[in-house]
Amino acid sequence: MLRPFALAVVLALPTQGDAAEITVFAASSLKDALDPIAVAWGAETGNSVVISYGGSAALAKQITQGAPAEVYISAAANWMDVLQGEALIQPESRVDLLGNSLVLVAHGAGGAPVTLSPDLDVEALLAGGKLAMGMVASVPAGQYGKEAMTALGLWEKAQPFVVQSENVRASLALVASGEAGFGIVYGSDAIAEARVSVVATFPEASHSPIVYPAALTQTATPEAQAFVAALQGPEAREVFRAQGFTPLQD
Amino acid sequence: MTDWLSPEEWNAVALSLRVSVWATLISLPFGIATAMLLARGRFWGRQVLNGIVHLPLILPPVVTGYLLLLTFGRKGVIGGFLAESLGIVLAFRWTGAVLAAAVMAFPLMVRAIRLAVEAVDPKLEQAASTLGASRFWVFVTVTLPLILPGVITGAVLAFAKAMGEFGATITFVANIPGETQTLPSAIYGFLQVPGGDASAARLVVIAVSVAMTALVASEILARAATRRITGQ
Repeated sequence: MLRPFALAVVLALPTQGDAAEITVFAASSLKDALDPIAVAWGAETGNSVVISYGGSAALAKQITQGAPAEVYISAAANWMDVLQGEALIQPESRVDLLGNSLVLVAHGAGGAPVTLSPDLDVEALLAGGKLAMGMVASVPAGQYGKEAMTALGLWEKAQPFVVQSENVRASLALVASGEAGFGIVYGSDAIAEARVSVVATFPEASHSPIVYPAALTQTATPEAQAFVAALQGPEAREVFRAQGFTPLQD
Repeated sequence: MTDWLSPEEWNAVALSLRVSVWATLISLPFGIATAMLLARGRFWGRQVLNGIVHLPLILPPVVTGYLLLLTFGRKGVIGGFLAESLGIVLAFRWTGAVLAAAVMAFPLMVRAIRLAVEAVDPKLEQAASTLGASRFWVFVTVTLPLILPGVITGAVLAFAKAMGEFGATITFVANIPGETQTLPSAIYGFLQVPGGDASAARLVVIAVSVAMTALVASEILARAATRRITGQ
C-alpha cells in the first residue's frame, strides 16, 4: 500500500529544491513592463516566471482550450468576463491591475498640441494623411478610440481617414514610420516609441475606463498567487508607472 | 442568401474575390516569364533570382508586408515615386492588397509553371524553329499550349493563396472595411470579439467553398488541356 503512495509523492515533488516555475499569459502591450518585474521577482524568490505574450483574445481562447496558464492578464475586461463565465478563473482573485490613457499621437518628435473639441477640423489636421487605429470592432484600443471620437463628435469627420490595424502596436508602427500622420494609441505605447509625439490626451470621460484585469486560473499554485500579489507591490507599481500605466490598486 | 451574411461580410467576400482575381491575372505574365527564365535561362544570377522569387515563401508574412510598406508606402522609395509622378497610391488601398497577394502567391505560381516548362520536349520547339517559326511564334504555338496545364495549376494555386493571404495584407494595407478588409482580415476580426465565432465560421465556410471550387475547376481544366496535348 505504501509503495504507490511513495512514488506519487516523489513524482509530485518539484525537481529543484523549492524553486517553482509559474506560467503567465499576458497581453502583448505589457511586455516592456512585465519582463523586468518578472526577472526581479524571480531573482528575489528563486522561482522562475514564464510569460507567454499575445493578444488578449488569442490567450483567452487558449485558456478555454486547456492551456497551462496560471495567471491571465488581459488588456480588456470582456475576455476576462468570458473566462469567468466559464469558471476558468478564480473570481475572488480577479483584480483590476492597471489603467491606461488614450492619446492622439503624431509622426515625429515635437508635434504641435491639438485641442480635441467638436469643432476640430480633422481633415485639415490630417492634411491628406491617415489616422491609424486598432480595428474599431475588435481591438480594444480601436474600440476605445471610436468611443472617444464619437463622444467628442469627431468620429463622422475622422472615419473616412481611419486605417485599422490588427493590434495597437501595428497602428503605432504606422505613425512611427510616417505612413499615417496621426494615430490613436495608449499612453504606454506612446512612451515606448521615440518617433511619435503625444499631441492630445482623450478625456477620461470620453471613453470607458481602460482596465487591465489580472486573475488566477483554476490550476494556479501558491507561487502564482504570490506573483500576482507582487504585481501590486511598490516595486512593480514603480515599473508600471515608468512605462506609462496607472496602477489601480487601493 | 443576403440574410445569411451581413453587408460587411459580403463586402469582405466580394473584395477578396476581386483582389485574388486581379492578383492572379496581373502576376500571370510575370509568372510565366520568370518560370521560363528559371527553367531555360543560363545566366549569371539565376540562383539569386530563384532565391528572391522564393523569399515570400520563407519570410514571415508580416515581414513581407512590412517590406512592401517600406518600399511601396507613401514614404517608400518606389511608393513615393509612384504617388508623385503617376498619382498611384498603393498603401491602404485595395490595389495594395492586390500587390501583397500577388507577391505572396508568386512563388507558388512560378514553381508550378516551371515544372511544366522543364517537362517540355525541346525537340518539338526545335522542329517548329526549323520550319521557320520565330522564337515568339514558337512560344505561342508550341510551348504555351504544352505548358498550359502547369499554367492553370499555377494560376489556381496563386488564386487560392491570394484568397487566404492575411499577414502581408494587413501589415501593408491595414484593415479598412470595403477597401482592404479581405475575407481573412474579417475572420481575424470576428475571432477577436467574444461571441464572434459564428460570423467567423460562416466566412470560413465560404473561404473553404471558394478554394474547393477553384481546385476542382483547375483539375477539370488541366485535364482537358492535357487531353488536347496528348490527343487522347
